[in-house]
Amino acid sequence: MENELKIDPRLVEEFLNFSKNIAEAPKLVAAPDEMILETTPYDVAYTEDKVRLLHYKPLTSTQNKVPLVIAYAIINRHHILDIHPKKSWVRNLLEQGIDVYMIDWGSPTNIDKYLDMDDYVNVYLDHCVDFVKHESGTDNVSLQGYCTGGTLAAIYAALHPKNVKNLVATAPVIDGWKDTTVVSNIAKHVDVEKMVKTIGNMPPEFMYYCFSILKPFEQGLEKYINFFRNIHDENYVDNFLRVEKWLGDTPPIPGELFKQWIKDIYQDNLLIQNKMYVGGRQISLKNITMPLFTQVAVGDHLVSPECSMPLHYAVGSEDKTLRMYPTGHVGMIASSFSQKKVLPELSQWLKERS
Amino acid sequence: MKTEFNDPLSYYKHLTLFWTDLMYLMANKPASLLSAGPMRNFATNIKKISSEIIEANDDLVEFNTKFLDYYKQLSDTWSEAQKKVNEKIPAIPNDAERLEAYKRIWIDIFETDFTELFDSGKFGENYGKLVASELELTKHWNNIMSVLLQSANLPNRDEIDDVYKQLHDLRRKVAKIESDLQQKGEQNGK
Repeated sequence: MENELKIDPRLVEEFLNFSKNIAEAPKLVAAPDEMILETTPYDVAYTEDKVRLLHYKPLTSTQNKVPLVIAYAIINRHHILDIHPKKSWVRNLLEQGIDVYMIDWGSPTNIDKYLDMDDYVNVYLDHCVDFVKHESGTDNVSLQGYCTGGTLAAIYAALHPKNVKNLVATAPVIDGWKDTTVVSNIAKHVDVEKMVKTIGNMPPEFMYYCFSILKPFEQGLEKYINFFRNIHDENYVDNFLRVEKWLGDTPPIPGELFKQWIKDIYQDNLLIQNKMYVGGRQISLKNITMPLFTQVAVGDHLVSPECSMPLHYAVGSEDKTLRMYPTGHVGMIASSFSQKKVLPELSQWLKERS
Repeated sequence: MKTEFNDPLSYYKHLTLFWTDLMYLMANKPASLLSAGPMRNFATNIKKISSEIIEANDDLVEFNTKFLDYYKQLSDTWSEAQKKVNEKIPAIPNDAERLEAYKRIWIDIFETDFTELFDSGKFGENYGKLVASELELTKHWNNIMSVLLQSANLPNRDEIDDVYKQLHDLRRKVAKIESDLQQKGEQNGK
């Protein structure tokens, strides 16, 4: 028969296997809700409102004198920095003898809608740094900020330079106009004033929308196909679900903070021009004179390298290092690559200056 | 006074307002006499709800326009991307290796074209307006809810917002006082 449809038997087999994998998935895999993302033990050293300062338990007998405080981003939760024992940013630093604290900003609710950049930088972050200084008996700390946390850390270092011995900015959002990502395109066009006035806090759904337009076919389609294809690979599935769970845990952002964030950084681009005000004080990046280590990912599709790199050139520091890594936004902090390349360089840099 | 209208929407708006106003005026006295408690509030505030619904209709038109534009952008991009895929591989292969290659090409082309769209000014602009019109609709809904809450003698959104604001200011004052006290304590300790 001429019109007979010829299908490769391997395709049929693959289809059947794929269907079988889907059917077997619930038996093989834990539900994301059942997974615990934190892998490294810690104590809650300090709390203020919904903010918690986590102090990780040491993994070496001796530790660096100057502790490291990590200011996590205001988007999603801090778990990505300790997502898996073999890919944990925190664990790696602890194994290098660094005393690690992490700020968990918590999940803001409606009552927090008036929290702004001043509260985050000059109250929460400042109080956490004060606590660490007091607890460790040091005059200052090393401060690392990731993503939007990198911006908060840079602003803090500019306002309180005496408290910061070393500044590490990992994919920080600095020059909003140079950001070429789809997220910045949305941020530049959204009427943030109206959004905050009408809704209050930035709803997680808005963030999910922003995530959905980042590589929509690879991230929204192909990765789930690959997940079911690899359902018998325990390691793959474990990694996949941990990151998926982290991606889905997006707390709201306090309205006033979100408003200032979008307007001052993305729409008016005030920070890099040294025209931004926080708590009534003008931010000059030239006030950042401590050693600075800027980490940028070439394939970052959330914060483009052009947006982060200007920090390196804008500060007043003489001792400054800029590293560009051939990876992505998450790959830079939670991957085998970050364990082998990014973290050893950072640990070395910190040790030489602590 | 005679009124003229150039478009059906304005006429509809006028008609609704006219009857709402008139019925409100006509019903005001009997309603005041018959209703008590929450229902009295409701009778007083029902006009506000009508106004919100009328204005929401205007905003719904704007929302629909932007929403259609949004979907048009998506579907146009989809069609263009599919054309490119078809030009590259005219027929879907039915053997495993070539099907995998087809999938790769399909994803690459679609990813590139859609990222280009999401990066574009026209998308950002329309999306910004779409969100703004959606927020306008939300605002009307919030206002209607406020009227209902007020009728039930419950605090509405604006009143709760005031409480949040005052709480925030108080937290700041307390934090400042604590910090000042701590500094003074440290100075005295020295």
